[in-house]
Amino acid sequence: MSQAIAVVLLTVVGFAMGLAIFLANRLLPKEDKTLEEAARIKEFLPGADCGACGYPGCFAYAQAVAKDKQVFVKNPCPTLSQDKEGMKRLEEYLGLKAETKVGKKAVVHCTGRSEVIADYHGVTTCAAAVQVASGYKECPYACLGFGDCVAVCPTGAISIDPERRVAFVDWEKCIGCGQCVAACPQGLIELVPGDTPQYLGCNYQSLRDVPGRKRCPDGCIHCHICEKVSNGAVGWDEKKDLPVFTQTPVPTAIEKCPRKIIKKTVAYTEPEEEETAAVGS
Amino acid sequence: MNRLIAIFFGMALVNNMVLVKFLGLCPFFGVSKKTKSAVSMGIAVTLVMLVASAVTWPIYYYLLVPYGVEVMKTVIFILVIASLVQIIEMAIKRTNLTLYNALGIYLPLITTNCAVLGITFINVDQSYTFWEALVAALGAGSGFLLVLLIMSGIRERLEYADTPRAFRGSPIAFITAMLLGLAFLAFKGMI
Repeated sequence: MSQAIAVVLLTVVGFAMGLAIFLANRLLPKEDKTLEEAARIKEFLPGADCGACGYPGCFAYAQAVAKDKQVFVKNPCPTLSQDKEGMKRLEEYLGLKAETKVGKKAVVHCTGRSEVIADYHGVTTCAAAVQVASGYKECPYACLGFGDCVAVCPTGAISIDPERRVAFVDWEKCIGCGQCVAACPQGLIELVPGDTPQYLGCNYQSLRDVPGRKRCPDGCIHCHICEKVSNGAVGWDEKKDLPVFTQTPVPTAIEKCPRKIIKKTVAYTEPEEEETAAVGS
Repeated sequence: MNRLIAIFFGMALVNNMVLVKFLGLCPFFGVSKKTKSAVSMGIAVTLVMLVASAVTWPIYYYLLVPYGVEVMKTVIFILVIASLVQIIEMAIKRTNLTLYNALGIYLPLITTNCAVLGITFINVDQSYTFWEALVAALGAGSGFLLVLLIMSGIRERLEYADTPRAFRGSPIAFITAMLLGLAFLAFKGMI
């Protein structure tokens, strides 16, 4: 008798559980199709996982786009934006047009001409070298050229000049992800809008002046000349005691700078074309 | 209330699932290499233990005992727990993708984990009431999580330790487990 009950009971419980799974499958909200969609979108993305879009990696970005296509319009992948062909393919796939946005670019505020005053033989990273008396160069803010920024750059946009031992950012390759900004122990790298026509090749902050250390031949002497000659196109950062440039090209300031350290970027255009300058700003 | 507290700590420490009852040993070694996965596994096991206890207790007392087929509890419990985990996994996957990614593969891994089955048997063998069974499950899960956490922490540090070559990997993990078991033996007789 009890065998029969056992068999019936097992059958009943088995059927009940099967039914429960079936019901759960039916009643629960349908599975997100966005994951598969995201996997397809990811095929179009560069896969650098640089984080410039603000999402943790390309797949997270693809998921966000799959969920809401407007994300792509408002915040197109900055890396893909470099590649017109690839951008076109993704736009065609999504059937949307991304807003053209001026991406950010990194600049290194140093020309590397500061004199080498010490023979450094330690660990070959900037983070280690800067621990020893603010680096081996005369200027305590100088780029040390061990390439901490090169190591983190996902696109290989940064190169080191071996003679001056200074980093330089190639704007053609730079995607403005800002990883180098975080990696530089000297805080020399800054993200600026991609249409900025000039930047200062120095980061000598007089308020943090180190006694007994001279400026390098390219050091900003905080003379405010660039600010005075440019009719308000150049601002002044009181905290760092350094000029702040806008998107307006300032040829007079570049010429009048006694140290000639206002560097033109690839976005520099002669200000005769007033209209382009106005659009840029 | 005192009895519930005693059951909780009894299950978590004195009668620890892994180190005293030797249940759930495969995740203890398999998933204790990294702290992050160990915590995910521990939480998943705790969750499943709770749900399994909540469901198997009424099945045992309202279905098996009245018909006099207590002998069927093993097969019925396995069936119920396995289907339950399926349903839970489905529910988490469809409602909270982040949580699903966090627990990930660990949920299906524990469908027929012996620690989960063990706690349901202990509930029945000790003739706990419903609430006592829930507290026991919570305690057992917390104990499991605790041991997994300790083990993964030790193993992460062992990676950097200067272990003799013959002991590297699993052997030193077994020795660690033995010492941990000895340490937990000290709880014996506390409750």
